[in-house]
Amino acid sequence: MTGPTLVVGELHDGALSDATKEAVSVAQSVSGKENVVGFLAGSSPRGPAAGFGRCGVARALVAEDPRLDGVAGAVVAHLVASAADSLGAELVLVGGSTFGRDLIARLGIRWNAAVATGVTSLTRTGASFEVRRPVFGGRATETRQLEGAHAAVALRPHASAAPPDSPGEVALTPVPLDGVPASFWAAKRLSVEVVSRGAGPSLTDASIIVSGGRGVRAAENFRLIDELAASLGGAVGASRAVTDAGWRPESYQVGQTGKQVSPQLYVAVGISGAVQHLMGMISSRVIVAINSDSTAPIFKVADYGIVGDLFQVVPALTQEVKRARGQ
Amino acid sequence: MPDFSLTPEQESLRDLARKFARTEMAPHAAECDRASRFPEEIYRKAFDLGLLNLNLPTEYGGSGLGLFDQCLIVEELAYGCGGMTTTVIAHCLALAPILLDGSPEQKERFLKPIGAEYRLAAFALTEPSGGSDPGSMRTLARRDGDGYVLSGEKCFISNAPQASLFVVFANTDPSQRHKGVTAFVVPRSANGVTVGPDDEKMGHRASSTAAIRFDDVRVPASDRLGPEGGGFSLAMRTLDHTRTPIGALATGIAQAALDHAASYSLKRETFGKPISEHQAIQIKLANMAQAVQAARLLTWRAAWLIDRGQKGTLESSIAKCFASDAAFAVADEAIQTFGGYGYMREYPVEKLLRDAKLTQIYEGANEIQRIVIARELLRGYG
Amino acid sequence: MEIVVCVKPVPDAETRLRTAADGSTLDIEAVKFVLTGYDESAVEQALLLKEANPGSKVHVVSAGPPPRTEEVLRASLALGCDLATWVEMPPGVAPDPVSAARALARAVAAVPHELVLCGKNAGDDEAGVVAGALAELLGVPDYSAVLDLRWDAAASRLRFQRSTEAGVEKWEAPLPCVVALQQAWNDPRTAKLPAILKSRRLPIAKVPPEAAIPATGTTRPTKFELPPPRTGAKLIEFKTPEEAAQKLVKVLKEDAKVFP
Ligand SMILES: Cc1cc2nc3c(=O)[nH]c(=O)nc-3n(C[C@H](O)[C@H](O)[C@H](O)COP(=O)(O)OP(=O)(O)OC[C@H]3O[C@@H](n4cnc5c(N)ncnc54)[C@H](O)[C@@H]3O)c2cc1C
Ligand SMILES: Cc1cc2nc3c(=O)[nH]c(=O)nc-3n(C[C@H](O)[C@H](O)[C@H](O)COP(=O)(O)OP(=O)(O)OC[C@H]3O[C@@H](n4cnc5c(N)ncnc54)[C@H](O)[C@@H]3O)c2cc1C
Repeated sequence: MTGPTLVVGELHDGALSDATKEAVSVAQSVSGKENVVGFLAGSSPRGPAAGFGRCGVARALVAEDPRLDGVAGAVVAHLVASAADSLGAELVLVGGSTFGRDLIARLGIRWNAAVATGVTSLTRTGASFEVRRPVFGGRATETRQLEGAHAAVALRPHASAAPPDSPGEVALTPVPLDGVPASFWAAKRLSVEVVSRGAGPSLTDASIIVSGGRGVRAAENFRLIDELAASLGGAVGASRAVTDAGWRPESYQVGQTGKQVSPQLYVAVGISGAVQHLMGMISSRVIVAINSDSTAPIFKVADYGIVGDLFQVVPALTQEVKRARGQ
Repeated sequence: MPDFSLTPEQESLRDLARKFARTEMAPHAAECDRASRFPEEIYRKAFDLGLLNLNLPTEYGGSGLGLFDQCLIVEELAYGCGGMTTTVIAHCLALAPILLDGSPEQKERFLKPIGAEYRLAAFALTEPSGGSDPGSMRTLARRDGDGYVLSGEKCFISNAPQASLFVVFANTDPSQRHKGVTAFVVPRSANGVTVGPDDEKMGHRASSTAAIRFDDVRVPASDRLGPEGGGFSLAMRTLDHTRTPIGALATGIAQAALDHAASYSLKRETFGKPISEHQAIQIKLANMAQAVQAARLLTWRAAWLIDRGQKGTLESSIAKCFASDAAFAVADEAIQTFGGYGYMREYPVEKLLRDAKLTQIYEGANEIQRIVIARELLRGYG
Repeated sequence: MEIVVCVKPVPDAETRLRTAADGSTLDIEAVKFVLTGYDESAVEQALLLKEANPGSKVHVVSAGPPPRTEEVLRASLALGCDLATWVEMPPGVAPDPVSAARALARAVAAVPHELVLCGKNAGDDEAGVVAGALAELLGVPDYSAVLDLRWDAAASRLRFQRSTEAGVEKWEAPLPCVVALQQAWNDPRTAKLPAILKSRRLPIAKVPPEAAIPATGTTRPTKFELPPPRTGAKLIEFKTPEEAAQKLVKVLKEDAKVFP
């Protein structure tokens, strides 16, 4: 018989975060819907905890205290460890976030759990669990067996889709706040400044890059590339045809004689894929090509391709990305 | 038992030089080459990190490395830019005679300032009348009271435009030919010293080279290195110590050429496959790899022997001569592997060929090295 | 201030990744191990705090097998750390992050420690677990994703920012605590050649790991996979540009998992 799985929730704009919902979905598939229990801490967690019900979770624990807003993961870890013990849980699951990772780290000690973070897939193997997680900046994937009676797992963002929103009630049980060392309350969060993605990341740091080539045809059209990059929160690059034409400064050039990049996602728009260009971006994890010529060499190295007119495809893609990201 | 592994200490020195070469030197190599720019800011950083005064003992504020460790560093630096590395080794070349024959007082006076702040030195042996035959030297040092008066001209002197001091070889008794050669330390500020314009060079354009004129320059006897007439032997003993790093410099250039060629060959496709799958290219790469490894091992062995107190004349000449010929041949094959791209300035390999060329010429042209090798060799049969 | 920095040796970023013969881990034959980038930044932060607060000491600690662990400790000493402790594990042992934290905690607990600094995560396993687990073992709070760390001596408070999903948060916190730094934002210094030579001769204190810590911890690697060579693009079929856009976003989200 397996114990329940506890999903620790996190709020985003006053509601359960997408990462939390993804965690619920993973918990439901490894443990069965009826074995998932929610957990939420905050100054007034009861309202947002109803979100668990809409994900098909029937039961949730809530820790309520004004001091719990914006508290470091350490405090919540104490509460979660006691809750997990009293429930006889075997697995604690959180979404992919800073908070989630902090929490899981503590549970490795406090709850004697086998821990894994940044997990993209979680499966049951006999009495324990197996996780898969990207390592080395996405250049490899490792599989680990989690041993022992307890497992604590933080997912990677987008490890799973959120469960469908459905009408559903969740029964809330309050949990006591005792046991947290006094020193853990001593830190103060003074303010939070929501940062806008104004300038975007630099080309070499960016985890997403959208590059434009000669197919963009003119400097003023490069706005299409800027907009797609902005919607993805990525940086803008260019082929040498573009920098030679002066549509963008040389600092944008990707390639053998430009910048060498290896983002998670590289979108090449109107770029043929000359070897000199490929040498600058071939180590990107996922490459997408948008080009009207189906024989363009870029399609040989891309993972996904759209054979089409960039002037039609790119604006539609920008819209769709914005929609999908709730912008 | 021979052991070819580096100690952890040597690995960390090599890593420092590698990082410096790849992050500070290489990104500016093409630009300095094109504009023939002397990147002083890079040499200052090298000084700060201890990568300039390689052979200067720690008591004078240098890094105090043995020859083997110097060679490890020089190879890495040359991988980043041969020209910039010439600035470094020409400086070390100028310190060597002071270290060999300088009195304690002279070392204190000349070397302390070099360890304390960024200053370059230059070694002035070659003259317009011929570099390979120092005995025919025309620069004269005339005895005059308690000192000497120098007159004559040196040419192709690395670091001359920037150096604050020169080690100058001049003849105190021309009738004695090379037995009259004497070494002096001459500050750049001495009256009558004129440095000519920067020479326009084929390669190593990040280093600077110029002629120096001496018009009745007064040098006190206290600035003479060693005895009168001891200069030729000093120059030869100096070159015994500094020839081997030329082998390391050439090895660095050769390794860079091989790396460029091999990675290009995997990416460039002709006839439907990467050129690395054509046997003609594979044979080139295999030959290049052999040359690079042999150059490195010969250099290491010469440095190791000299660090153990042997003269190593034969071995250092072999290392310098073999490694510099290898560097030229490997750079040549790298260009061939790149095809037309290799011939373009925009790609890095044509510079390697131009840089490799110098290593066959300076610090004793390879013809002279072969004379030395044969002489040393035949001694063992006579 | 008594500052402790925890560092880990990781394969150099330029390492060609290969799977070991048993298929479960990275093949470390001929791999060069270095300070992970985030740890370099943590060492830099420690040295900056030391320079700004005279009388401070920086103690660097690492847990792992020879020779790589000794090498990263020496590299940290060359950068200017004052003392080093090595929790020496048997050759070949690669502790999981929680076991590493257990090993580090033994060493850290034994020396003065007001502020313990860690990098955000190691460049190899990218777990980001050590700081939190170590803090739990030491019984002190921890703060992750920290930027711009300063010590306000007058108020006896650390002041820092955290870069989280919520945005940039401003925090203040008392000592003792564990801080995990966000990234290499502080342009780490390079060790000078004489300091490198000197670091070879400095003592490193050795601590044996606790016998109870299992060789790999409670997680065991079973497979190490490299992405297959690229075989050509999967082409998206569509009738309208909108359909193409929807299908692409879907595959990026669900198959490739790179959608932000
Ligand atoms: C010495 C040397 C060094 C070089 N270094 C670099 C380097 O560092 N980086 C670099 O990028 N290049 C470099 N190059 C140049 C390289 O060889 C190519 O010329 C260059 O990459 C081509 O850029 P491109 O793909 O944008 O242009 P093109 O090759 O002209 O490709 C344009 C593409 O846009 C597509 N297109 C056109 N209209 C549309 C449309 N409406 N919708 C969709 N697609 C469309 C076309 O089908 C075509 O595939 C170098 C070349 C040399 C000789
Ligand atoms: C970029 C650069 C930097 C330099 N830096 C310095 C420096 O810092 N300090 C310094 O003192 N010098 C320096 N030199 C000079 C260099 O060492 C000489 O150029 C070199 O020793 C050759 O002398 P040379 O040019 O006069 O040629 P020559 O001596 O005229 O020789 C011409 C050719 O004849 C060959 N040859 C000469 N004699 C014989 C023989 N007996 N048998 C067979 N072949 C022979 C030579 O090998 C060569 O191929 C530098 C040179 C260059 C190009």
